Amino acid sequence: MSTETIYCLLPEMMLIIAATLIYIGGVFVPGRQVWSGIAIGAVLVSGWTLYGQYTRMFWPDQHPVADAVAAAEHGSAGEVSPEYPPEPILSVAVPGPLKVDLFSQYVRWLVLVVGLIFVLMATQLAPDVQVPEYLGTLLLAITGLMIVASAQELVLLFIGLELISIPTYILLYLGRRTIESQEATAKYFFLSILSSAVMLYGFSFLYGAAGSTELLKIQDAVGGIDESSGFLWFARLSLVLIFAGLGFKVTAVPFHFYAPDVYQGTTAGNAALLSVLPKLGGLVALVRIVSFAMPGMETYAWHLALVLALVTMTLGNVVALWQDNIRRLLAYSSIAHGGYMLIGLAVAFAGASGADSASGFDGVAGMLFYIAAYALATTGTFAAVIYLGRDDRPIESVDDLAGIGRNHPWTALSLAVFMFSLTGIPPLAGFWGKLNLFAGALSIHLPGEEGDLGRYWFILLAVVGVLNAAISAGYYLRIVGVMYFRSSQRDLQADGGTGAGLAMVLCAVLVVFVGLQPNPLQVGANAAAQSARLPGGGATLDIASEQPSDVSAVAMSVAGE
Amino acid sequence: MNWLLAAILLPVAGIALIWVLGDATRGPARWIALATSVLTLVLALGVVRSHIVQSQPTAAGEKIDLAESFADSGDPAVAVDAAPPTFDRYWIKSYGVEVRLAFGLDGLSLWMFGLSALLVFTCVLVSWEAIEDRAPTFYALLLLLETGMLGVFAARDIIVFYVFFEFTLIPLFFLIGIWGYEDRRYAATKFFVFTLAGSLLTFLGLLSIVLWNFYHGAEGVLDFSFDGVAKALAVQPIPAHLQIWIFLALFAGFAVKVPLFPVHTWLPLAHTQAPTAGSVLLAGILLKIGCYGFVRFNLSMLPDASITCMPWLLGLSVAGIVYGALVALAQSDMKRLIAYSSVSHLGFCMLGIFSLNRLGVQGGVLQMINHGLSTGGLFAVIGMVYERYHSREISEFGGLARRMPILAFFMLLFTFSSIGVPGLNGFAGEFLLLSGAFQRGWAEAPESWALAGRVISVFAVSGVILGAWYMLWLVQRVFFGPVREPTHGGAHHEVHDLNLREITALVPLVVLMFWIGLVPQHFLRPMADTLDPVAQQIAARIDSGEKSTVGPLLARETTGQEVAHVD
Repeated sequence: MSTETIYCLLPEMMLIIAATLIYIGGVFVPGRQVWSGIAIGAVLVSGWTLYGQYTRMFWPDQHPVADAVAAAEHGSAGEVSPEYPPEPILSVAVPGPLKVDLFSQYVRWLVLVVGLIFVLMATQLAPDVQVPEYLGTLLLAITGLMIVASAQELVLLFIGLELISIPTYILLYLGRRTIESQEATAKYFFLSILSSAVMLYGFSFLYGAAGSTELLKIQDAVGGIDESSGFLWFARLSLVLIFAGLGFKVTAVPFHFYAPDVYQGTTAGNAALLSVLPKLGGLVALVRIVSFAMPGMETYAWHLALVLALVTMTLGNVVALWQDNIRRLLAYSSIAHGGYMLIGLAVAFAGASGADSASGFDGVAGMLFYIAAYALATTGTFAAVIYLGRDDRPIESVDDLAGIGRNHPWTALSLAVFMFSLTGIPPLAGFWGKLNLFAGALSIHLPGEEGDLGRYWFILLAVVGVLNAAISAGYYLRIVGVMYFRSSQRDLQADGGTGAGLAMVLCAVLVVFVGLQPNPLQVGANAAAQSARLPGGGATLDIASEQPSDVSAVAMSVAGE
Repeated sequence: MNWLLAAILLPVAGIALIWVLGDATRGPARWIALATSVLTLVLALGVVRSHIVQSQPTAAGEKIDLAESFADSGDPAVAVDAAPPTFDRYWIKSYGVEVRLAFGLDGLSLWMFGLSALLVFTCVLVSWEAIEDRAPTFYALLLLLETGMLGVFAARDIIVFYVFFEFTLIPLFFLIGIWGYEDRRYAATKFFVFTLAGSLLTFLGLLSIVLWNFYHGAEGVLDFSFDGVAKALAVQPIPAHLQIWIFLALFAGFAVKVPLFPVHTWLPLAHTQAPTAGSVLLAGILLKIGCYGFVRFNLSMLPDASITCMPWLLGLSVAGIVYGALVALAQSDMKRLIAYSSVSHLGFCMLGIFSLNRLGVQGGVLQMINHGLSTGGLFAVIGMVYERYHSREISEFGGLARRMPILAFFMLLFTFSSIGVPGLNGFAGEFLLLSGAFQRGWAEAPESWALAGRVISVFAVSGVILGAWYMLWLVQRVFFGPVREPTHGGAHHEVHDLNLREITALVPLVVLMFWIGLVPQHFLRPMADTLDPVAQQIAARIDSGEKSTVGPLLARETTGQEVAHVD
């Protein structure tokens, strides 16, 4: 553990310190405002340190090598036209189990934004909930996901994933104390433990192959497996086990059964948490392990991801058509979107297996863009549901939303924005996500004789994907229609709290902004995807001189482009 | 100051103003909407004018002989001032992906752009009294729809086109769903899902074109711009068998939008249920986006597949023409009758476009404008009747000409335009496109479908007769004969003829109808620059296909026929 490692983990540490403070202080000082304020402050401070890292490590200004390369690329010396903004360094070498690259940066930023929204949503919980405990646990879950994003080592990765899961069990239990809630908690707990065990079993094969838990060494070992040796089968087995374990978190279809029951049984805030944090964690871990640490397995991996994507999005969307309970409907919607994200993974794995996907529509980038758009719209929807409900009378069925277009125009407008974005209607964030995914699937050109067959699979994937988007319009529009085309049946007070209202507005603004100006997120996602492919290392971080000194990192970032 | 961009964004500014100034009543909202739509119209006309001025010197040499006969030759030479405004800036620029926010007009989009601005003006006036509930929202959505429509036609980039193409669904969904009639919720959802399902496949098709061009094209760049893709594909066309698949993907969306015969079922429902403004814009502009897409993408970028699919498309168009007309004859609801007449008329547009020759394409595109004027006007007039009587049942009316002579006058004009009475715009368009269809069906059809070609062209003409039948019959039943008025809703003594506002809404349409009818050359000439190369390219492909044995289906089917004869 060196100073550099600690420096890189500062954002996570801020959150853990705040969580501990809230846990301990909450025993002595009851009250919700003060702890909510501290939690929000913690997320903001964490974001501030992350920003410091980002500018210092990835955007070293007045970097002689970067300028030289930029000049060579664009012809004129030192002059970079505003049309071609300078590009960041992709990856920074840090001793220890961390992989500090733009991929982890992207995910951590996303987690902090979503985390802020979650904390805002939690500010006005039911009176019988211990607010400090809830907030502290929430911060821990967020920290877990941030650790997953930068882990370069199986043990740290697993710790990160568990740091998402274990706080989630507590949050589910804290949320509401009814029979349904307890059933949901128990169901989630046992299935989650099982999935962790399956995943660990998969990890153990990787450890057996490499003799190390570091992803870089595993990459060497798995990449060096002799085709004829029987060990290849262990690698494949490991792949399937890891997919099964993480598939639970992504709610891929055979492992999705818990989601509708759990979402329905718990509060809207917890459902929002469940629909974003584990899913993001699972996808990030899959990218890190499968597309990075298991070279040679990509062909199996993309077949697996492709079939899972096809089944998951179709089942999620079709079953969602018949749902009346809003949380259950959103559970199926979240399953379906998990399927869309798997399209990105399939494309990424196929790309890593040697397919020509030079078009710039990268699978990982598409997945990263999509999950950002999805996370904003979904958490926003749940925030709106919280905002409209009351502690004793939460929004349960879709029909409860009737007539809010007239009574609560801004809430209805936000919800409509979320629904259209989830459907993928331009110009909202979801459209650009779908553009990335479908263009990625269409641009796969696999080499060899089986390449054509593979292409047809990906075209089928894209066609099924768009048909699913049309199916999903059926139930998303139903929500919009209920809000605007029907008159209200019950008097909604909309006293779910200003926090939830603020969270909702924040999400809506971001969804619209990303829709109108997708470039920043697109560049971020593309750069993150580029960096995820690098073997790690890159520029060495030297805190004292405030400048990365390794020339090869810059060259790499240019070569990767 | 970019006038084109200003015209597209001005309605959004109007929405902001409605939001700032408007209260819960309709008072300020409708005035703001009116002012915005007038200003937008002025800007749009300015842009259109700059194009006409520019197109005059180049188009002078090459004119269609037939179209020439309509023309008045003496155009006053206008001093060429500034070049037409365009806008081009990157929207996404990231690691090889580049989407440009590019706007500009050409001969194909020019008139539809202007017509969109004009019909919104009409719609604001038509909705003046009719919309009372949530009026500020209504006008905001109307202006939002205007931005969407202007954007569709001004887009010069495939992604930008698609963004606006789908975006138009949102405001119209709300317009139908909130202010529509009894069955509005079902109609709105059906309209949205139907169109979306098709247009998403179109999206995949468009992406395939771009990506194919990226991997195999002459330049090898990821280029989303219309001009870039069209240019690259002219050098290095997509293989014929792939073109068919991409054509079908594009067809899925555009055919639903047009709507072509088997996928038209959403249209009568949406039209009947929509408020008057929604019907006017749906018929006048939004359906044309489908035709526009066919010309812009299928004809320009997939010429071989267009040739191969031509007989099928012609067949579907004629099926739509005849079916729409026959069903229109059987309607008892005025609005539904006009809706089915739209199916028939859009069949004419598609017939012309897929005749794939100069006359046909020009006629088809001109007919897009004509139909927007005449059917837009018809929906507006019927909306005015409904406003007065709260009924659309034909059987409940009679002799309205005696009660409301001015309204009857406009109704009759729009009817004459719709059925193609010479001197009005419908005749110019229908004559051109039917000439094109006959040229294709009789003179140019290959052996394999010579008979089908003749049947198609003859049946197409029958559509004109049927059109005259159902429209004139409608006018006769509703406006002539003994006075008969609905007894339930409307209070009879209040019924008054058109006021100045309503006349103002309709007069621009009438002026344009006469203008196009008397001097179609004014409108055809700016189109020629864009449409002639399309027709020429296809003619060249047909020629090369007939010469080579591995050419597109036209040639191949001829040989198949010969083999069959030998057998």
